[in-house]
Amino acid sequence: MKLLTHNLLSSHVRGVGPRGFPLRLQATEVRVIPVEFNPDFVARMIPKVEWAALLEAADHLRLAEVPKGPIQGYEQDETFLRKMHHVLLEVEVVEGTLQCPESGRVFPITRGIPNMLLNEEETET
Amino acid sequence: MGEAGEGESPRGAGALPEPRRSIAMDSNHQSNVKLSKTEKKFLRKQIKARHTLLRHEGIETVSYATQILVVANGGLGNGVSRNKLLPELEKLGQVDALLMPPNKPYSFVTYKTTEESKKAYATLNGQNIVNDLGQKIILYLNFVEKAQWKELGLQALPPGLKVVEEIISSEDEKLLLESVSWTEDTDNPNFQKSLKHRRVKHFGYEFHYENNNVHKDKPLPGGLPDICDSMLEKWLKEGFIRHKPDQLTVNQYEPGQGIPAHIDTHSAFEDEIISLSLGSEIIMDFKHPDGVTVPVMLPLRSLLVMTGESRYLWTHGITPRKFDTVQASKGHKSGIITGDVGDLTLSKRGIRTSFTFRKVRQTPCDCSYPLVCDSQMKEPPPSFPESDKEASQLEQKYVHQVYEEIAGHFSSTRHTPWPHIVEFLKALPSGSLVADVGCGNGKYLGINKELYMIGCDRSQNLVDICREKQYQAFVCDALSVPVRSGSCDACISIAVIHHFATAERRMAALQEIARLLRSGGKALIYVWAMEQEYQKKKSKYLRENKSNQGRQEISSDPSAQELFVEPVPDTGHQDSACSIPSINDFQKGRYHSREVANSMLPIHTNRTSFHSQDLLVPWHLKGNASKEKPTEPFGPAGTHDTGPVLHRYYHVFCEGELEAACQTLNNVSILQSYYDQGNWCVILQKA
Repeated sequence: MKLLTHNLLSSHVRGVGPRGFPLRLQATEVRVIPVEFNPDFVARMIPKVEWAALLEAADHLRLAEVPKGPIQGYEQDETFLRKMHHVLLEVEVVEGTLQCPESGRVFPITRGIPNMLLNEEETET
Repeated sequence: MGEAGEGESPRGAGALPEPRRSIAMDSNHQSNVKLSKTEKKFLRKQIKARHTLLRHEGIETVSYATQILVVANGGLGNGVSRNKLLPELEKLGQVDALLMPPNKPYSFVTYKTTEESKKAYATLNGQNIVNDLGQKIILYLNFVEKAQWKELGLQALPPGLKVVEEIISSEDEKLLLESVSWTEDTDNPNFQKSLKHRRVKHFGYEFHYENNNVHKDKPLPGGLPDICDSMLEKWLKEGFIRHKPDQLTVNQYEPGQGIPAHIDTHSAFEDEIISLSLGSEIIMDFKHPDGVTVPVMLPLRSLLVMTGESRYLWTHGITPRKFDTVQASKGHKSGIITGDVGDLTLSKRGIRTSFTFRKVRQTPCDCSYPLVCDSQMKEPPPSFPESDKEASQLEQKYVHQVYEEIAGHFSSTRHTPWPHIVEFLKALPSGSLVADVGCGNGKYLGINKELYMIGCDRSQNLVDICREKQYQAFVCDALSVPVRSGSCDACISIAVIHHFATAERRMAALQEIARLLRSGGKALIYVWAMEQEYQKKKSKYLRENKSNQGRQEISSDPSAQELFVEPVPDTGHQDSACSIPSINDFQKGRYHSREVANSMLPIHTNRTSFHSQDLLVPWHLKGNASKEKPTEPFGPAGTHDTGPVLHRYYHVFCEGELEAACQTLNNVSILQSYYDQGNWCVILQKA
């Protein structure tokens, strides 16, 4: 699971609504998988990122050099874009957990796959 | 941004006219049609029976407009005469011809133009008419290519059924009737049970009605009456029967009594079940699970022999009534009642006593009809869900568990991306965030490298396969997607929503997809179509019947080979825009369904047209079979089993149904709606 994916995930436990975001990330195994750098692609991602959630997740993974937010003229700033590229797309959580901030429900991440299935009592009707 | 599917109009030429019961829109685009549960149920039954009867008569209906309509229920065979029907038809346009085949419960009307026939189709569907017998009839119309039908012959008897006439003499009949004492005798272990409808007595083994089975280790003393024994020996010698039965149930029916439709418990009795009719003739109704009913005359002193399909798959029953409608010309001979109105006459019932002989099974049943077999099915066969909970359970068993089991094999047959979907993805702007809801093996997750795609699926095993390909994927339910609202630039959901077992759940899935989209975001949705033939072209799914499409993996199930349509699969219902008009109680006549198994989900025969909207589609599992085994040639329905057969639940969509469902979403608009190789498709845009 990449951090960009984490940035999209939200808990859907019954009743939590938007308070289910962001999921608290813990990792026991993380890998860096190189991805071809496409500055244009990364630049387009920037406006879509929920920055606070990204920083929190990056913090839990103890990543260094994570920009605190978009900077002026980021579209042309290769250094900035490369850093974002790395954080968003190259860091893969292989084993870990995602925790709903509101309900405390824990979702496992196994072999890079979050399992977000709820049982019957937990799903919203 | 270019649009996928340029040139596709929402309704192709020859699209069916709006159904009579149109879906009214209020200003919030909410549907005002809410059918009650009963209405939905009746509608379902109607449509199913309609498709079935036509299919069994060899009438191929088509989903596009033609000049010729088949008018089901409007035939000489159910008392509708020309002078009753023609005026009604002529109200809608110029009638070139009205063909009313004798003895048939349908007719064919040819209008001068397609416009007129379309008008008739829209107006007359569901319309009442009073027949010559004073009965209220509901007409159902369908387009056909030709005014053609199959002649009902003796082969229309349920397979494995035969009736041997005059198998005993009147004297023997008298002796047999006298041999049964109906007086209450509590000491007598040959219990006489007085059931609600008829009198019953058992010999050999007692039959228990609570579980419809015998007490195999507690045979009744005395065995079968001597007079029966000698008769059975005679019949064996003469070849009327093949096995010597060891159980006898004597039923006595007063006029007005009957027995509900049923299949004799598989695990209780061996194949051959025979029944001798004494005292009165009677009509016994045999019904196939897909709805067709065959009324069979059992004359006096005849022996009914049920084997094979007629014993294991068809139900049999006797309607509780005092008169049977029989054919005057055939007198009291056996055969099917075909109902030529000029030939019909009423036969008053007398007291009928049946001697039903059966052989008790000592081992579990291993017949070829597992879905109706209590030995092979631990639970009752799946039926149409009546609640959300039942729907969820049905999906669990017949969607989720199946995909987990077939994931590897399934994935190997899902490798060719469909062009229109590729078009849609490639037309999205670079840097779009796209969710694939129900991504399966991730077929579409890598199509466009300029997109950031995340896939989700209910099946862990399928998501694992996505992961092996380095895609971003997670496991979740499509009814509750754990993704922030309004975060996706686009969504796709290909061949997913048709796995939800109620309209509400399908709607909920659509709502989730709409929720994920940002304002202006687009979604592409594909579902399997009921109409596998559209605009006179058969879908690839149908065309690939029996052909060995050049795949390296030759499997004995054609449906395992992926083509433009997914795997492959009657009963329209609820707020579908399926061309079913008014909802009414199911009309009588010869085609009303009996109760048993009427909501059982039919099993689809792969590579054939669909006859029900809700059904189970077989999957022949391969992949673990040893390579040394020679590949088996596959039969027409892929019935050769080198491995287990699993069944997946589908609700196939009628034309317009997906659109109608999307229209009730108040935050999306439909950009495009089209048909693609056996699928109905929509492109939506979030407001």
